Amino acid sequence: MVLLLLLIVLAVTVASTPLLNRYLGRDSGWPIAAVFLALTVLVALQAPQVLGAGTPLEFSRPWMPQIGVEFSLRMDGIGWLFTMLVTGIGSLIMAYSTRYFPSGPRLGFYFLMSLFAFAMTGLVLADDIVLLFVFWELTTIASFYLIGLSGPSASRPAIRTFLLTAMGGLALLGAVVLLVVRTGTTSLSEILADTSWTGDTVFVSVVALLVIVAVFTKSAQFPFHYWLPDAMAASTPVSAYLHAAAMVKAGIYLAMRFTPAFGDVLLWNVVLITAGLITALMGAIFALQQTDLKRLAAFSTVSQLGLLVAVIGVGTPAALVAAAVHTVAHALFKSALFMVVGLVDIRTGTRDLRRLGGLRHRMPVTATVATLSALSMAGIPPLLGFISKENLFESFLHAPGPGWFGPLAGVVAVGASVFTFAYSFRFVYRTFFGTSRSEEGSREAAATEAGSGFWLPAVIASFGGLLLGLTVPALDPMVDEVAFNATHQAADAHLLLWHGFNAALFMSMAAIGIGALVSWRLRVGDTVAGRDLIPFTGVNVFEAIHSGIIRLGRRTGDLTRSDSPAFHLGAPTVLIVALAAVVAVFGLDLPSPAGQTTMGLDWVLVGLMAVAVLAATITRSRMAGLTLVGVAGFTVALWLFFLGAFDVALTQFLVEILTVVVAVLVLRRLPRRFHPVKAGRKALTAVIAIAAGLSAGVAAYAMTGRRELSAVAEYMLEHAPADTGGTNVVNTILVDYRALDTFGELVVLGVAGLIIIAVLRSSDLLPVHASRQVVVSTDNAAYPAADNTVLMRTVGRYLMPLLVVWSLYLLFRGHNEPGGGFIAGLVGGSAFALLYLAAPSDARARIRLAYPAIIGAGVVVAAFSGFLGFVDGSFLKPLHAEIPLAWGDYFHFTTAFVFDVGVYLAVIGVLLTALNELGLERGTPPGRSGTTTAPSKDEGDDEESAPAVESDATVLNGSTSGGKR
Amino acid sequence: MTLAITIGIMVAGGVYLMLQRGMVRIVLGLLLVGHAVNLLIMSAGGVFRRDQPLVGSGTTPFMADPLPQAFVLTAIVIAFSIAIYMLTLAASGSDDDTEDAS
Repeated sequence: MVLLLLLIVLAVTVASTPLLNRYLGRDSGWPIAAVFLALTVLVALQAPQVLGAGTPLEFSRPWMPQIGVEFSLRMDGIGWLFTMLVTGIGSLIMAYSTRYFPSGPRLGFYFLMSLFAFAMTGLVLADDIVLLFVFWELTTIASFYLIGLSGPSASRPAIRTFLLTAMGGLALLGAVVLLVVRTGTTSLSEILADTSWTGDTVFVSVVALLVIVAVFTKSAQFPFHYWLPDAMAASTPVSAYLHAAAMVKAGIYLAMRFTPAFGDVLLWNVVLITAGLITALMGAIFALQQTDLKRLAAFSTVSQLGLLVAVIGVGTPAALVAAAVHTVAHALFKSALFMVVGLVDIRTGTRDLRRLGGLRHRMPVTATVATLSALSMAGIPPLLGFISKENLFESFLHAPGPGWFGPLAGVVAVGASVFTFAYSFRFVYRTFFGTSRSEEGSREAAATEAGSGFWLPAVIASFGGLLLGLTVPALDPMVDEVAFNATHQAADAHLLLWHGFNAALFMSMAAIGIGALVSWRLRVGDTVAGRDLIPFTGVNVFEAIHSGIIRLGRRTGDLTRSDSPAFHLGAPTVLIVALAAVVAVFGLDLPSPAGQTTMGLDWVLVGLMAVAVLAATITRSRMAGLTLVGVAGFTVALWLFFLGAFDVALTQFLVEILTVVVAVLVLRRLPRRFHPVKAGRKALTAVIAIAAGLSAGVAAYAMTGRRELSAVAEYMLEHAPADTGGTNVVNTILVDYRALDTFGELVVLGVAGLIIIAVLRSSDLLPVHASRQVVVSTDNAAYPAADNTVLMRTVGRYLMPLLVVWSLYLLFRGHNEPGGGFIAGLVGGSAFALLYLAAPSDARARIRLAYPAIIGAGVVVAAFSGFLGFVDGSFLKPLHAEIPLAWGDYFHFTTAFVFDVGVYLAVIGVLLTALNELGLERGTPPGRSGTTTAPSKDEGDDEESAPAVESDATVLNGSTSGGKR
Repeated sequence: MTLAITIGIMVAGGVYLMLQRGMVRIVLGLLLVGHAVNLLIMSAGGVFRRDQPLVGSGTTPFMADPLPQAFVLTAIVIAFSIAIYMLTLAASGSDDDTEDAS
């Protein structure tokens, strides 16, 4: 329960930061620090059990039981150590932050820092590998925002850090997936205890490499080291916590955690030691070259992490002891040093070593802290850093691999320590000793010591290093347990300041001695500072790769980037034809046709279709093209009649008519003729078209009509009357069996209507095309529109009510005879189309019904009938009732009919929308201009494409309003 | 076979129209291809059964498959709404040309 309590308290802390910030501003750090301190004490109290008795704390609850993922936490020695660091150092940094920032609200900072502490604690306690991954990613995200908090200049560094560590996260995810699939469990302790996979050399190497990528990106190891100095764009408390004590230690934690599985894998040993030592040496040299105090600390962190990674790579119990001690030592001295950087920065206004100097008189406490920490970092007795470095050296000498490997590793480690001494000296000497290099009267020269609240956390951290160095045997139980958890062997460590004269001591002495020499020769690093040792930087390489990837993506996109619809429509067509060709080459094993597929009359339709389609492709006139496609549509309707689909045929007829009506409204706004197309393109597209037609025809012949009636169809034909009370099976499918499909299609229909309205609200319709304008003088017989439409209007007056009644009749009978909502709606829509066609002018034809409301009503009614279905169990399930009629019969009423009414309304609404919206002269919003004045007169004056209009002549615009050409 | 030929003719014509310039021809081509696909769905039901699926007086052995008919019926209406939407696009904004003048 302690473990759960830890996470809950941290989560509550995160959640309460907005409140704290509101009342306390930057001082929110105090309560948070107090909470962290309390948690540190709580964790410390677990030491007797976890470290003394060696029994880990455990907690487990099901999280995603379907896939076996548990919310399980476990605190063993390793978990204890890292939890202590996260909460303990976190507490110091939070207290420090209250004085680092100027007063004012700091919500983002405190929220993200607490979130980060939460994520880190979860990470080091997670005993479920999926949970571990989740917390791992959470640290990545929190760090991204923490770096990004520092303003626009930090955005690139934040993105670089994020992309890089996210890449490591992906690698970790890969390892997690492989391990879970292989071992069948997500429990981390079970996976690590499972020896069945560690023996498989290939598998274990792949997983080890993936984990290595995760470790290296998170802990800034070569070649991913550059994000850490880059991330110095973040504010100093962030760097002190994330880049010294917490985030970078996540990689160290992961490496330690996986040591039981990989400790004996040579690949793991070699890669970790090699890359770690390269990083250590390189980081140390780069650190010496810095002129910015914070960047110096950053490169020093990279270097120290390199030593840690390398020593974990050694994999022996003694090496893990060294790693544990150095983790503690580094967390203490590096957080203190970063806090010093912040102190100096805030008090003097600069971090530039070329301008600092002589601060020890004016900032004595800071100088003491810096000196103590730097001594620990440089490995000077009696500080903790000395002990950890001794252990590091000792461990490297016993590195696995060939005999020369250990000594070589030791030499490189000493080399890194030489430069560590040099840059530690540079850090302290150039800042606090010598004389100030700033001009008299400048802010640097006038800097004074900060208040005690500001320096106290740094003092605690640095004196912690001294205290632990003096009482180092106290760490024995902790390091023993860590080494045991990581290697499953007892380490039996006896940490001492004085080990007697041994190899490690001589190595330490060599490092210090040569370090001093190097410092002297390089004039405390000034001679190499700022010089480019290599011609490129990690950031440049990253940016080059990053932009290269984006360029590659753009190139790939260029392959299909074209505004021409012909290209986008042609490419898949060609591909389908190619597929068809492949199938044709290999052939298919086909059954013979199940019956007589050709009837004599069919050939008439084939001939009709051939003529219509051929003519439609040849013609250059838009109107002719439309008409010919309409002929093809009617032929399809005839085909449907022939095939026994009367409902469908009726629908097709009506749709054809209405398509032509709507299309004509559009075509009058466009030129008479199609755009010309070059002969070569015609030929090419003709070839594609014929190939496509051939494929489609052959496929249709080969693959259809070769089986008996499907089982579904048989069932529906058998049971439709009993199931639904209807005998028109097609209609029962629409409104009953598959009503949800129909409902979906109804919504699509309605949305199409609304989109038309939306499109025309945002961009106006084209004016009527100039080529279709006809000027008719007033004495011409074609001029008076009212006279010319008298026939149609008279017929329409009687036909219109008849059509409406007929449509209602079709709606009612649809369940049993051909008809139904779709057909009835189309017939009703035709009635309105007739009204429209018969009107003497566009304006007069306006049907003043709220058509969007009709569409909406249709959808709502259909949905309502669907909800009625819940009475009997499910959405859209039809209910049935026999309503007694006056003459003794019963009327069979079903809610499927209500559904069909919805369909009817939606179809009518969409048709009204099309007629009204497209029929208008211009995209005048309905209701804005009165219906008494024709829009053409409203706007005729500013119509550039229209010929001049005389008052005694009117422009008839090729619309459907009669009396035109 | 006759239905297959019809489908072939319509697809050929439709594809040809779709690959030309101008939104209107693309719409016309799409209409043709849409019709062809509807007929293909009908064809899948079996062309040799051509009786109406009205079961008021029992079923007959040559009664057509009702399922493709229901599919096609809704498909026609959907195709219609898409067609009028595309025609709206063709007639709004600027000319319906889909390519730079060449």
